Amino acid sequence: MLRLTDIHKSYRVGPTTVDVLKGISLMVEQGELLSIIGPSGSGKSTLMNIMGLLEQPSAGTYTVGETKITYDDDRTLSSLRNRMIGFVFQQYHLLPRLTAIDNVGLPLIYRGIDEKEIAERSTEYIKKVEMQERSHHKPMELSGGQQQRIAIARALVGSPAIILADEPTGALDTHTGQEIMNLFKRLNEEEGITIVVITHDPKIAAQCKRKVELRDGIITG
Amino acid sequence: MIIKANIKEALKSLITAKQRTILALIGIVIGIGSVIGMVSIGTIVQNEALKQFRDMGIDIVSVTKDYEDQGGDKGFSIDDIYSLPDYSPLIKKVAPYIISSTQYSYMGQDLYIELMGVDESFFDLNKLYVREGRLLSDLDRDRFFCVIGAETADMLRRVGIRKLIGGQFLFGDRIYTVVGILKDLPEGGGMRPSGINRSAITHISTALRAFTTNDITTFMARVNTQDSKTVKDVIENYFNKKARGLRVRVRTAEELITQMQKQMQLFTLLLGAIGSIALIVGGIGVMNVMLISVTERRKEIGIRRALGAQRNDIETQFIIESVTLCFVGGIIGIIMGIVISYVFAHFSKWEFLISQSAIVLGFGVATAVGVFFGYYPARSASRLDPATALRE
Repeated sequence: MLRLTDIHKSYRVGPTTVDVLKGISLMVEQGELLSIIGPSGSGKSTLMNIMGLLEQPSAGTYTVGETKITYDDDRTLSSLRNRMIGFVFQQYHLLPRLTAIDNVGLPLIYRGIDEKEIAERSTEYIKKVEMQERSHHKPMELSGGQQQRIAIARALVGSPAIILADEPTGALDTHTGQEIMNLFKRLNEEEGITIVVITHDPKIAAQCKRKVELRDGIITG
Repeated sequence: MIIKANIKEALKSLITAKQRTILALIGIVIGIGSVIGMVSIGTIVQNEALKQFRDMGIDIVSVTKDYEDQGGDKGFSIDDIYSLPDYSPLIKKVAPYIISSTQYSYMGQDLYIELMGVDESFFDLNKLYVREGRLLSDLDRDRFFCVIGAETADMLRRVGIRKLIGGQFLFGDRIYTVVGILKDLPEGGGMRPSGINRSAITHISTALRAFTTNDITTFMARVNTQDSKTVKDVIENYFNKKARGLRVRVRTAEELITQMQKQMQLFTLLLGAIGSIALIVGGIGVMNVMLISVTERRKEIGIRRALGAQRNDIETQFIIESVTLCFVGGIIGIIMGIVISYVFAHFSKWEFLISQSAIVLGFGVATAVGVFFGYYPARSASRLDPATALRE
């Protein structure tokens, strides 16, 4: 499904070069529930950006499905992001002006799907995260847990190959965070959706089927 | 495809940032408003000038002695002028006239007056009508009667003269009895000799005897064709060969109209250019607002890119927002421009008209300003690095 081979990433900060990822090789198979755990500064956010096609690695190869990523064409990259990847962020990142249901439908707009179908699919996925009661509320009117559910529906609506969740419970209290994890587990078990959870919390990581530990830019376990 | 969603989004985002949107709108409204106002006023002025030609008809020519070619003072002989219609069927009617400026003094005040000598057909050709009294006819030959222009009448009343019709006035060195007062004529343009409003007009036969200068240097004619070239040739040939070898200059209404239209186009262009400066300033305001909008929405741009928006989609979104802004400003600006030109026409007592081309121009320009000044902010939005934008 996803295959990272010897991925390096370094940033230039003034005159010095900072190596954030120092040769990451990782495979994510269809139907996995995988956690990537590491302390802050271990490079896990950079790794997720690379996996999510938001950043280009300095060296190494990355294959999504059958496609080897070449990073030379914005159109192809955007299209891959749109079809293959669903993001869930720590800060939810919903658009404040749009209602919950319009936020859910956002990825489909960039596919050129007609309005009626977008509305149907958004409704379907908002039900899946049990938020249909709140579909016409603005994000500001929702609690953190509710916003995260909307964000998950938005990540799922385009039927991507994989969900990339960056600290999805980081901004939530323990109870709500657990609800979100339960939702992930249910989606993974019942629908076979591939999910990668990036976290620094061992309790979250422990709930995933597989765990990858990242430290100082390399996989340690 | 996503245009409709973009317009909806653009409106929402513009409404959210009310203050900023209103500031940018004011700039655009003033810009488009001044362009439309200026162009409309130009059109109204042009229409007004042409109207005087429409009033008199465009079958009028004015023939003047060519001073450059002949050093002597001799003007036209009145008989030569009157036999012109017999010479060519193209000439229907002729109206010779002479003008001699004078001052009329009354109780120590000097009034500047144009003394004119004309014949009966002059009133017909120039569409002159009386407000009071009567016009002169050829029966007034050799008599010291006159009609006075509207402004002359006003001036005389202002210095305290009550009795105008039937009153006797010393114009030049002769005393004339006023028999009529002409209606007020619009200023400028057309084929009419200027100064009729400020005139005292007597019969040409009287004038030839009484005026200090009695050379006829100009006459008007109504002609039978609209082919100005033939008419010109006929008149020039007539005076060149049949008469005394006099060189003449013939000006047709058609020529004057063409000349005036050129001037008016230049005038409208100039007004439009003045308006455009306001528009550029407005456009820069839009660009400023769009740049701020892009800066404030870096995170939104990052989110959209993460969800699969291409650079093109982001660029389109911001250009549509800028065009929407300018379009709304354009509508208000067009209304404002029309109101301005209406007020202008109203106070100038000119015929108001809405220039359709100005409206089309207004929308076109508004859209162009939106695209032009929205392009740079939209482009910088689309170039944002999504990972950086999301981290903020």
